[in-house]
Amino acid sequence: MAEDLVLDTAIRDWVLIPLSVVMVLIGILRYFVSKLMRSSPSPDAKIVKEGQVIIRARNLKAGANFIPLRSFRTRRLYFSNEENGLLHVPKGQGTNPQAQMFSDPNMAMDMMKKNLSMIIPQTLTFAWVNFFFSGFVAAKIPFPLTQRFRSMLQNGIDLSTVDVSYVSSRSWYFLNLFGLRGLFSLILGDENAIDDTQRMMQMGGFGFDASKSLGAEKDGLDIIQHDWALPRFEQRAESVLRKLVK
Amino acid sequence: MVMKTEERELNQLENQVENGGGGVWEYLSLVRKLKVRRSEIVLKHGLSILNDSGKRSALGPDEWTLYEQVAVAAMNCQSLAVAQNCIKVLQKKFPESKRVGKLEALLIEAKGMWEEAEKAYSILLEDNPLDQVIHKRKVAMAKAQGKPSLAIEHLNKYLEVFMADQDAWRELAEIYVSLQMYKQAAFCYEELILSQPTLPLYHLAYADVLYTIGGLENLIAARKYYAATIDLTGGKCTRALLGICLCGSAISQLSRGRNKEDKDMAAQELESLAATGLEKEYKQKSPAKLNLLSSALRSLKLS
Repeated sequence: MAEDLVLDTAIRDWVLIPLSVVMVLIGILRYFVSKLMRSSPSPDAKIVKEGQVIIRARNLKAGANFIPLRSFRTRRLYFSNEENGLLHVPKGQGTNPQAQMFSDPNMAMDMMKKNLSMIIPQTLTFAWVNFFFSGFVAAKIPFPLTQRFRSMLQNGIDLSTVDVSYVSSRSWYFLNLFGLRGLFSLILGDENAIDDTQRMMQMGGFGFDASKSLGAEKDGLDIIQHDWALPRFEQRAESVLRKLVK
Repeated sequence: MVMKTEERELNQLENQVENGGGGVWEYLSLVRKLKVRRSEIVLKHGLSILNDSGKRSALGPDEWTLYEQVAVAAMNCQSLAVAQNCIKVLQKKFPESKRVGKLEALLIEAKGMWEEAEKAYSILLEDNPLDQVIHKRKVAMAKAQGKPSLAIEHLNKYLEVFMADQDAWRELAEIYVSLQMYKQAAFCYEELILSQPTLPLYHLAYADVLYTIGGLENLIAARKYYAATIDLTGGKCTRALLGICLCGSAISQLSRGRNKEDKDMAAQELESLAATGLEKEYKQKSPAKLNLLSSALRSLKLS
């Protein structure tokens, strides 16, 4: 049915705007709290070294054609040597990041803090929205939707004949949840604009998995065919000089 | 490395500041951001801000950063009293701070009290074994005391962990060159070329080292790297042009009697072109020395 429901402007004044304002404020509050609670990271020497090894190996791959063949071979051997090469990770010892996660109390605490700081405000806000703002139509979505979305968007509204475009305030809450990132980046500066969606994605990926990247770099290095670029430079220098001298 | 636009902005601000215009704070912030060394100017103008309590309070929390910056600049200019005062102020505000601790150790080092500075740095390193700045200070101390082998040892240990640090490789290369350990210096320059293959400076330095080591293979390689430098600088590098001529004559000396192999195909032209380029440049920039150059080039070709 395509009848147009006229929504009371009071809904806009007392539901939509306060809900957005509250979410923005909670976001700002969370940012400040996280700043206070942030513990300074103490980097592990091994991890730092591995990071630098990877950078150096990448440089070797990128610039391999600029150094003489012998030097390249020496370096490649240094990296991929079976016994003590830097990139060689013996099979059994690949650092298992998950095990490390739970054994290192600091990291576990950090993860917990981050998760908590996200879950608690979300849960509280959601409960508040449900309690106060349910049972009525809050807004109209400007494009038509199929019936499947009815259960998701019209949760408090028990009339099945209302057009799916008319949604409850719960969907407004979710809209805000995913959409306030831009606003946060304006207010808080670009680096702090992590909104909940990104945090949720971060929850999935665990820490820096060094052993895989090392293995990947080693394979990359093994593949390279060295093609010394310098002889070509002689010819190019010639043409440059010729142009200059004319 | 500082980009060209930033360099221009820096120079512009510097002129402005030196000639009495405003903009001192922007200049100081830019110097801090780019990590360039302009100690005298920083000292003079930074002090003028700090001594004027009105301007100082206008800075707000940045005041302490300015104290730190002026302290380091003062130590660079050997105004140790000024540095001491700044550090005292910082100590009062931030007791037990690692950053201030670093400054204190730096002051001890500036006074030349090497063992005490060594002790201070070791204590700081215990708390924070991965602090790059402190490691580099130890190297600098070893160098200042005239112990290059100790400096090399420290640098090597540092590079075992932080092997992607270009400045460290560069420093190591220069120390090796000063000690005439050319093979090791060549290794360092290769690292640098790998990290930034388009920077002509490293090609030039590598070519110099290869030429110095000598030997036919190295000379050939050196000429190639001089050629690379010329290509990367558009033919403007005098040193590389000279390098090519010298390499050419050295190679022909060494390979006298051997068959002319493949390398000389492109090479002949390169030498004469380099010579012509050199003469042209000398004509432009210092015509008085042109005769010297021409006779030198002639003797190279004949030998």
